[in-house]
Formats: sequence, C-alpha cells, structure tokens
Amino acid sequence: MADNNTYDAIVVGSGISGGWAAKELCEKGLKVLMLERGGPYEHLKDYKTATKDPWEFTHRGATTAQQKKDYPVIHRGWAAYDRIMDAWVNEIDSPYTEIKPFTWWRVYRMGGRSILWGRQSYRWSDTDFEANAKDGHGIDWPIRYNDIAPWYDHVEKFAGISGSLEGLPQLPDGKFMPPIPLNMVEKDVAEKIKNFYKGQRHLINSRTANITEPLSERTNCQFRNRCWEGCPFGGYFSTQSSTLPAAMKTNNLTVRPLSIVTKILYDKDKKKATGVEVLDASDNKTYEFNSKIVFVCASALNSTWLLFNSATDVFPEGLGSNSGELGHNVMDHHYNLGVSGEIDGYTDIQEQGRRPCGFYIPRFANFTGDSKKRDFVRGFGYQGSASRQNWGREIAELNVGGEFKDALCEPGNWRIGATGFGEILPYHENKIYLDKNRKDKWGLPVLAMDAEIKDNEMKMRVAIKEELKEMLDAAGVKNLSTYDSGHAIGHGIHEMGTARMGNDPKTSVLNKHNQVWDAMNVFVTDGACMASASCVNPSLTYMAFTARAADHAVNELKKQNL
Amino acid sequence: MERRELLKMVAVATGGVVIGGEFFLAGCKSKDAEVAGTAFSSDNIALLDEVAETIIPKTATAGAKEAEVGKFMTVMVNDCYEEADQKTFHEGMKKLDEACNKMHGHSFMKAEPAHRKELLTSLDKEAKEYMKNKKKEDPNHYFLMMKQLTLLGYFTSKPGLEQNFNYQPVPAKYDGAIPYKKGDKLFV
Repeated sequence: MADNNTYDAIVVGSGISGGWAAKELCEKGLKVLMLERGGPYEHLKDYKTATKDPWEFTHRGATTAQQKKDYPVIHRGWAAYDRIMDAWVNEIDSPYTEIKPFTWWRVYRMGGRSILWGRQSYRWSDTDFEANAKDGHGIDWPIRYNDIAPWYDHVEKFAGISGSLEGLPQLPDGKFMPPIPLNMVEKDVAEKIKNFYKGQRHLINSRTANITEPLSERTNCQFRNRCWEGCPFGGYFSTQSSTLPAAMKTNNLTVRPLSIVTKILYDKDKKKATGVEVLDASDNKTYEFNSKIVFVCASALNSTWLLFNSATDVFPEGLGSNSGELGHNVMDHHYNLGVSGEIDGYTDIQEQGRRPCGFYIPRFANFTGDSKKRDFVRGFGYQGSASRQNWGREIAELNVGGEFKDALCEPGNWRIGATGFGEILPYHENKIYLDKNRKDKWGLPVLAMDAEIKDNEMKMRVAIKEELKEMLDAAGVKNLSTYDSGHAIGHGIHEMGTARMGNDPKTSVLNKHNQVWDAMNVFVTDGACMASASCVNPSLTYMAFTARAADHAVNELKKQNL
Repeated sequence: MERRELLKMVAVATGGVVIGGEFFLAGCKSKDAEVAGTAFSSDNIALLDEVAETIIPKTATAGAKEAEVGKFMTVMVNDCYEEADQKTFHEGMKKLDEACNKMHGHSFMKAEPAHRKELLTSLDKEAKEYMKNKKKEDPNHYFLMMKQLTLLGYFTSKPGLEQNFNYQPVPAKYDGAIPYKKGDKLFV
C-alpha cells in the first residue's frame, strides 16, 4: 500500500473528527494513515462491562482509592464511574498546568471521546454564524449556514441522528430518523410552555446520535442508557461503530495506535507540510511519515499543542502563530446549573425503557420574539427530562421494615428538571500555551490553561436559572429547586477555539476551508477551528466541517493546488 | 441507572447527605487507609446482615440478608469510607448493641424481630435528628451509614432488582406512558 512510510494523507487523531476525516478521504480513494496516541479499543470485543448486571460491579459505581489518586481531574465531576475509568487519560503521565481552574476530560484511546460523548446533535444556524459580526465579539465567521448545510445533511445521514422536525429558525431541521419519544409529562409541559409563551418557546425531543432504525450493520438503540460502556448493538455513532468500519472497507486505511504526533514536518520553501514526526508511546522511538496532506483532529487543545510544537524554526510560536491568535479564544459551554421540581398527577402511568436522552429547549434569549431586555449577548439552551421517583425517595413516617420496603418498590411522584448550556464568548485573553518548564511522561512540554468565564456569562447564568424557573412554574411544576455549581472552562467537555477560522490571515489561524494559512495542505477540523461557540452541542458541526474540508482537500489535490 | 442519580437517591431516601465525606462521588479509599484493628469478623457480618434484614426484611420478595448486604457493607466501608467514617462505623456496631441492651435487655442478635424493628426505628429518628443538627466536623451517625449501604446494596442486588421490579437489561423500546396500577411492578 504505502512504501517508505509515505501516504496520500495523514489523519492525527481517531475521535469524532479524525474518524470522519479518515472515512471521507479513504472513500475518495486516498491512502490514509490514521495516528492515535492511545492504545487500541475494538468495537464490541473491548466493551467489557457493557452487558454486566449492576450487581456484578463490586462497588456499584464507586471508584477505588488508586483511581482517585490517579484521576484527580475526573473526580471533579460526574465522570468518575467504576465502569468507565479505563477510558480516561492517566493524569500522572499526562499532566497540564492550570493558571486558572480548567477541567480537561481526555480519552487517549482508539476512538477518543466518540465512545463517551453525550450524542446530542444540533445544527448551528445563521444566528450563530452571524453573531460575531453583529455584536463585535471575536471575528466574523468566514462561512454561513448555506456553506455547511449540505455537509450537515451528509453527516447526519451517515451518523444517524434521531430528532423531530420543528421548523425553528434558530435550530435548523436535519435529515432525521424518527425521534426518541417524550413521555406524557414532558409532552404536557411542552404544550403548557408553548401556550404560556404564545409559541415563542419550545420544549422538543432531544436530537441525538442514537439510531431509532437499523442503519448499515448497526442495530437501533435498545434503550439501555449505557452508551458510555460502548454499545454492543452499535446503537449510537462512534468512530468504532461507524466511521472506522466504513474507512476500513475501502482497504485504503492504515491505523497506527500508540503514536504520539510530536510535530508537523514543514518545508519552509514550499510553505507546505511534508508529513509528521511520531513518538511511539510503547518504545519511545521516533518515526517519520510523509504525506501530501495532514488532517489535524487531535481534539481542540491537543491539535493546537501540535501546531505550537511544529515549524518552530520558521515560526517561533508554532505553525499558524503568525496571526498572534494561535492558542487564544479558548471557549466551552458553561453549565452546571439548573432547576428541578415535582409535578402532580400521572400516577396511573410509568415509563418502560431507559432513554439515552430527554428533551431540549432551544435558545430563545436575544432571538426574534424575545420580549425581554437582556443584560448579556448570545443565548443558551436546556437539556432535561421527567421521570417518576423510585426507591431512592424519602417515605414520610416509614423508617424500616416491610411496609417501608413495599413503599420503596412503588413508584413515587413525577419529577422534571433541566440543565442550562450557555454560550461563552471568544475572549483573546482566554488562552492556552506551552508550559516549557513542565514535561509529560514522554518529555514533551505540557499545556498551560489560562481562561475563565466573565461578566457576560455570569449575567447569562442568572437568566438561565430565572427563565427555567419561570417556565417550569408556568407549566405547573411545584417545589422548584435551583442549583448552580459554578463553571471552570473545560468542564462542559466542549472545549474549543485556539486555532480559529477567519477571512484574514492577520487575525485567524485557518481559512474558510480549515486550512492553516501558512501551510495550505494542513487542515484543522476539530473544535480548535471554532471562531465562536454557539450554545448547542458542537460535535455534529465538527463532523460537518471535517467532511467539507476533506472534500475541498481532495478537489485541491486533483487540481494540484496542494 | 446513572450512578450520580443513584447516589442522590440514596441521600434523599435516608434524609441527608451520602456518608463518606466525598464517598462515592469522589471515589474510594484504598486498603492502606484502613485503620488498624478495624477488620470485620464473621460475627460483624452476621450482625450487619440482621440489621439490614430488619431495614429490608424478607416479605413476598427476598430480604437484605439473602442479598448478602452485610458483606456488601463491609466491602464498601473498607474500600470507600474515609478513615474517620470507618471508625464511626465500627464503633457504631457496638453502640447499636448497647442501645439494644438498654431498650430490650439483651444484644441485637438475641432480640426478636419486633424488638429489632423498634430499636432501628428509634435509631433512624435519632440519626436523622443528629445529622440535621450536627456541625460539619462532627462525625456522621453510624445508623445513617448502615441504612444507606443497606438500600444501595439491596436495590442493586440480583434478588433486590429481579424480585421487586420488572428489571429489563435490554428494554428494546421506550414507552413514556405505560399504564400503571398499584401492585404492578415498576420497570427498571
């Protein structure tokens, strides 16, 4: 296939973006080398806990002391769960520096975070693409919705996104499979919200990358809600279930695990990349691989780490640093806050099956029809669900014994709650950079994170809580309780930015086709490319950007422009 | 069930925080953190089984003893509790017996089921009252620990799940409005 370590294309990373790059490039006939820094993780075979029963787990969810010691970052949130601890990066081997608190959830393993992602899949609209130009934060996006809409179509059809057609301008409809249903309580709350706000606000089905009809070799979602352990049915989109098998089928793909890409090799005369340098994580030896094009899909911050480390003899701050924007404008979605409460009635129904999702309330603030004066720009959405309480609830006047047991086995009241997801603005001063004084296990410099949410986000958080309280109250939900646990950047696991796209090489790292201005055969298509954050979950947009860039790359190769 | 939700439920059911400082949410302590002389004996496990069985007795469905909740409690205390909570738990087993002696004139193991229930009912009230008023640095109440571990251990056990509920490992479908009447088993 490829002699002397030479390929048509190299893809750095095997997560959602890397998987898409490999699939698209392979299907277009290129010989592709996919490099993954972590070890293998095979579809089905390596989903070791996926079919175990709850009682087969010694600590029924808890993690061990050694894990607590090894994974301090993961223990800041909800991801420290005995079944999935093998997924997370070893934090002692791969540290990072927090100038300000920053939660970085990493998976260094084949498939990256595509196994563990939240699967919520929403399109951006022109409200998002025009936001920077309109309110002056960040720089204007070099594209609009029409540029990416066909690519949303393309990736949705292959990935399998279930959702309802709503005709909402802020949340464009896509090529959906039938939605995962709302339960009766959610439907009624949706109706009450619609009436109360005269059709300006909507509670809709989650749009999720869990399939509701068979797709290719994959079986539809079986409603186990254990996606994180890997799905034995291929019920949701991951590299393993979807893009990797498609790429392998072409016989054009070579996968090399345990390959830490340390730099992009750069020919300063041709102003092009010639390949990459790899440090083999198992034997610590260095290898070179050559290619016509390089797709950088190492996850937002690691993609920028790779640029920092590349072509430093020509650009002291790294490939793409000419603009002064490389590493800047790091964003995320701020969350960790919400409201929940009780709802009377519906005692004659229960749910069957465990959904891997719930409902979504699309953005309404600072959008057409929003009647309120806001003291912040941009907007937010909510994700939530309603369900009946079970054995964990308190039973008044019953403490111990048979009646207590019987009462716990009966269903309790219905509860409904949701969590806000807010847009974070692109601030130049929110940045990451190489901490040259600190090295990881392989002697490579680590990233330093210096970023925080600011006034606009703090004001938005107040509105997120107040608006949700008002909506649930209007829908008849009682005993509302609000929580707000604060937000460190990265905690939303939607870290993005640091190598933004733009129209001008003076203010951006990438052009409108995700090409590095200073090396047009290098494409960065993961979250690093983002010029703003919107408030919707980002992975679907990375898929679309990646497929679009792959198409452009192959066309340019044909024209011999790269 | 998602773990976070599960643990929140345990806290609500027992009227307060989940014991163990950071306990489940922040992971377990290792064996090397065990306090010397706090290993569990088979008598301890037998006692914990009976305490658990009193909280969740055998009815038409299995009780906590059949679900081996006593042993489960010892694993969780050893692996997951902070040192201070381990100590409180071990002292708690003695205190429970002392309280039984005071109330009924003999040890818990010798007490008849009705007396056991009476004792634990009073301990449950005592624990709730104590937890409500305690200062942050005060130790947790041992009975709250025992009750929380009993509920978690029982309702995630094979008999606890399979006999009380319509446990479906692979539901295959979702329906948000299945008719329910009292006596029907809840889908989990």
